[in-house]
Amino acid sequence: MMQETITRIFFPIFDPVFSPINDWLSSFYMPWARIVTLALFVGTMLWVYSLKKEYVNLDAPGKRFWYDLRLWTVIAMLPHVIVYLYF
Amino acid sequence: MEAVRDVSTSLTGIDVTIVVMYMVGVFALGTFFGRYVRNAGDFFVAGKALPFWAIGMSIVVSDIGAMDFVGVAGSAYMHGIAVANFDWIGSMPAMVFAALIFVPYYWRSGVFTIPEFLGRRYNMAVQVIHGSIWGVFLFTMLSLMLWVTADKLVYTVLGWNKYFTVWLMVFITGVYTFTGGLSAVVMVDVVQLIIMFVGGIALLVLSMWEIGGWGAMCDKLTAAGHSEHLTILLPHNTDLPYPWTGIVFGLGIVLAIAYMSGNQAVVQRTLGARSEWDAKSGMLFGGFLKSFIPLMVAIPGLAALVLVPGLEEGDRAVPAMIRLLLPPGLRGLMFVALFAALISSVDSALNSASTIWTTDIFGRLRQLFTGKVLDGHQALVVGRFFTFGFIVLAGILAPWIGAQESIYVFIQTLLSFFQGPTLAILLLGVCWRRTTRWGGLAGLVLGVGFTFVLYNTKGLFPSDDPFLFVAWWSFVFSLVVTVVVSLLTPSEPDEKIRGLVWGQVMQDGEIQRVLQKRVS
Repeated sequence: MMQETITRIFFPIFDPVFSPINDWLSSFYMPWARIVTLALFVGTMLWVYSLKKEYVNLDAPGKRFWYDLRLWTVIAMLPHVIVYLYF
Repeated sequence: MEAVRDVSTSLTGIDVTIVVMYMVGVFALGTFFGRYVRNAGDFFVAGKALPFWAIGMSIVVSDIGAMDFVGVAGSAYMHGIAVANFDWIGSMPAMVFAALIFVPYYWRSGVFTIPEFLGRRYNMAVQVIHGSIWGVFLFTMLSLMLWVTADKLVYTVLGWNKYFTVWLMVFITGVYTFTGGLSAVVMVDVVQLIIMFVGGIALLVLSMWEIGGWGAMCDKLTAAGHSEHLTILLPHNTDLPYPWTGIVFGLGIVLAIAYMSGNQAVVQRTLGARSEWDAKSGMLFGGFLKSFIPLMVAIPGLAALVLVPGLEEGDRAVPAMIRLLLPPGLRGLMFVALFAALISSVDSALNSASTIWTTDIFGRLRQLFTGKVLDGHQALVVGRFFTFGFIVLAGILAPWIGAQESIYVFIQTLLSFFQGPTLAILLLGVCWRRTTRWGGLAGLVLGVGFTFVLYNTKGLFPSDDPFLFVAWWSFVFSLVVTVVVSLLTPSEPDEKIRGLVWGQVMQDGEIQRVLQKRVS
């Protein structure tokens, strides 16, 4: 009942906004979906490397490369890139 | 869950011995940490002494429940590998953002809860609204998880009386959470994660062995006409759940970040870190470990499609695989792995619920009416009171709440309405100094209202359950509202937001000098 009332009132308002978006996304060339997904992972890795090293590694127990959390991020995310390339 | 009953036929004496040893061991380990609790800081944030590996392991095991083991494998059986998106794209990027944007600010500000952080950044109304919804949600989850453990798992597998199991769980988790607080919860979680991984990897390896390897499984799935089960990104207008647009934008960008940055049960572990580096690396390590979860649950679900095809319910896949593949002893260990997944979720919910009720609801209301702030000892007493009260009340209400599925669905839906708006005000609160208390309040309240309307307007999105799309658009809406209202209201004084805003910490010369000095 409540849902029907809300749909009756708001569907005519929202549908002109969302319908063209749905049509556009439905015709999306699927390899682009993979590229967008991979971009999220690669973009995150690049973003982390754009941060100041002092900020990322503040309070690190040592200066050796294995304490660098930027490297941790890449190591943790690379398997995901491979997974989304494979599937 | 009828599916779990299938395992019961095959549990032997050695399996039951393993289960009993596990319960005694968890109880002893948890209560051991009670000796280290002296004040509220020790109880709520483990005295800020947790190492990164314990934080990471605890985050993963708190997040994964026994029903995830069964349910995710079931979804993989029915819909394919796309369900793994929730642990891959739905975890790692979000945990990186949480680790490097949100966690340092929570950690530096010395807060106990996310609502407390929101209270400092915005105002008391935002804190109480956010705290109340999480407090109620966590308590309801507590009751439900106790009943699920007793009814769906222990009763169906071991045949133990449900009420006896509920009160046994109340006793075990209640005593060690009451005495040891977050330290006990995290250290027990570490052991539980190891058990979960041993059980999960055993299932994965044995299922691959039985089929003849990954390549053989893919060939057999394709030959049987299930090639779509190996597709991880589904079209926008797919009939199956989880279209790629909802997965990337709704899950990857909104729900996952909101969950990893705003879920008290997740973030409380990082607030207990011994250093800021441990807080960040704990979150990253947790993300890395979480990447393995689909291998232990989704892949066995796919393997079940080859080994035990034709199941009417996907949820029967894991029990069928356990019965088919695991020898005595390993079956008991697998049951303990499922049990560990549930126990770790119960203790986390209990500890987080008592923290929120102590800090954000009782503490704030007491301050409002009496003008007095809780000191460390008072907060410890109140926190333990809530821990005791909640676990006993949860035990009493468990059968009733467990039977009222609509209550759980209602509260979970209500919480989901908050995810997009909460992320919007958290993100703007941390990243944009111009965000004001009124902007935050308007973004939260109007955002939740917009989410409610969008969720209940049928036919706007291709999916029947468009929660992923609703999450994205409610986030965008709240972002716009918060920005607009903030620009229309007076900015916050510098002293109020000092150390709470990203740009200030990154660009303020004085703060930078302090950071540089600490690093060198």
